[in-house]
Amino acid sequence: MIEVSNISKSLPDGRKLLDGISFTVRKGEFVGILGASGAGKTLTLRCLNGLLKPDSGSIVIEDQNGSKSDICTIARVRLRQLRRRIGIVFQGYHLVQRLTALDNVLLGRLGQISTLRSLFYGFTDKEREEAFAALEKVKIGNLANARVNRLSGGEMQRVAIARAIFQNPGLLLADEPLSNLDPSNAKIIMRMIQPLAQEMPVIGVFHQPEMTAKYCTRVIAIKKGRIIYDGDPRLTTHQLVDIYGEELRQIENTPVLAASATGAINCTNPNDHERDFF
Amino acid sequence: MNEISFNPPRLGLFRRYGRVSLVLLGILALAQGAAWVCGARFDLLFHGIADSMHFMVHLLTPELNAFSDMWQPALTSVFIAVVGTVVGTAISLLFALLAASNIAPRWLRNTTRFLLGLERALPEIVILLFLVAAFGLGPFAGVLSLAIGCIGMLGKLIADAIEELDPVSIDAIQAIGASRVQVILFGVIQPIIPSIISFALFRFEYSIRLSVYLGAVGAGGIGLELYRSFTMLDYGRAATALIVTLILVFVSEWVSGFLRKKIKGGRFQ
Repeated sequence: MIEVSNISKSLPDGRKLLDGISFTVRKGEFVGILGASGAGKTLTLRCLNGLLKPDSGSIVIEDQNGSKSDICTIARVRLRQLRRRIGIVFQGYHLVQRLTALDNVLLGRLGQISTLRSLFYGFTDKEREEAFAALEKVKIGNLANARVNRLSGGEMQRVAIARAIFQNPGLLLADEPLSNLDPSNAKIIMRMIQPLAQEMPVIGVFHQPEMTAKYCTRVIAIKKGRIIYDGDPRLTTHQLVDIYGEELRQIENTPVLAASATGAINCTNPNDHERDFF
Repeated sequence: MNEISFNPPRLGLFRRYGRVSLVLLGILALAQGAAWVCGARFDLLFHGIADSMHFMVHLLTPELNAFSDMWQPALTSVFIAVVGTVVGTAISLLFALLAASNIAPRWLRNTTRFLLGLERALPEIVILLFLVAAFGLGPFAGVLSLAIGCIGMLGKLIADAIEELDPVSIDAIQAIGASRVQVILFGVIQPIIPSIISFALFRFEYSIRLSVYLGAVGAGGIGLELYRSFTMLDYGRAATALIVTLILVFVSEWVSGFLRKKIKGGRFQ
């Protein structure tokens, strides 16, 4: 469980980037954070991981064994220990180039082995097997020995997810994991992230309301550093205009984009249409 | 539409040729003045040309028997350059980490950059003279001076490469919960290994040439052989040493260029 209460962050000139953000996410929830560019979505997510310290407020993460720690107040070793249990997937994949897919997955446990061992890639056979299992889970076991810079964007994002799974996290964060992918790959990635919510809270930042409507259990919308919506993932056009601004209404009037904005993108699988959008 | 007519203004003789002639005259006067101040005389130049012609004849008839004596000093030179560059690259990497703004604090970064600049300003030959005073003549002083000579240039190049890294890729390793050393190993050094190798190879080309002329000053190797033959007026032997040196430089440049092209082509990427 992760409990964010009242976090704020301002620029030195006093402009507020985050203004009293509060929410709680439990196991079984897949939360999508929506918002226009610059609204503070990614900033919030970086705070959840401790990459950024908010000026005020607290972010309490509860472990499986019930121990709670506030990521805003801890540092160094304690922070590193906590981070080992937080999986994160980035927009730009951020894999270590020139290493194989399997090695990249193994890096997920970098924090759990000694520095000396990591210098010689000293992972045990058991860890290798587990890493391979994680790759199998995202269905790219056959690419285990391929260098990641030879992979396509969708495959790289799957390696990143496998890395997060291998970390065996208690919380999964995803920072715009779909932004570099085509619609069909985006669906594949969403289908892989969705079941992970059974085991841990999953929080993702997205730019695709049609995707969050389909796969998330809850949507949080942020505008100018404040939460303006928190609830059912299926949003009305009116709510979308609230989040993204008047420009969206004009886009709605052009036929091609109107179809996509209301979620009528249908890629490969006809069964994908089972749930109505918005 | 109006036709645009263009009549070039007619220039006077001075405006056409005068200014360039004045500049040329000025340069000549400066050269003559400098020659007069430092005691150089143009008639010596012609004597020198005559003398070097004498050597040219010997160059065309190198002492073939001396080739067998040349392999060992040549290998010494290569060895000095290779070890010097490898050790130098390793030390530069440490300095580069301290000189990168995204790793080191501001004061440390600026201090290190200043030291690197200081080193770049110091000619290798000065470093060698210092080291010869400390360690005596021989290849060890040569290796050390080449290694130290690397630091200024490679340290700055690698530090710049580190600063150009995508900050999020460092964050990504940090977010896993890795220790500081692990972040540097996998988030910083791993992505720039091709650049480091490429810089080191580039420096190696320079080091080979440098090791020849440092050899003459006391580091040993083919440079010493070249210098000795010249001072003993053994021009045939000098010509042999010169040919071996040229082969050395050509081959090392070719190998280095070949490897760098391979790296660029993505073999090591």
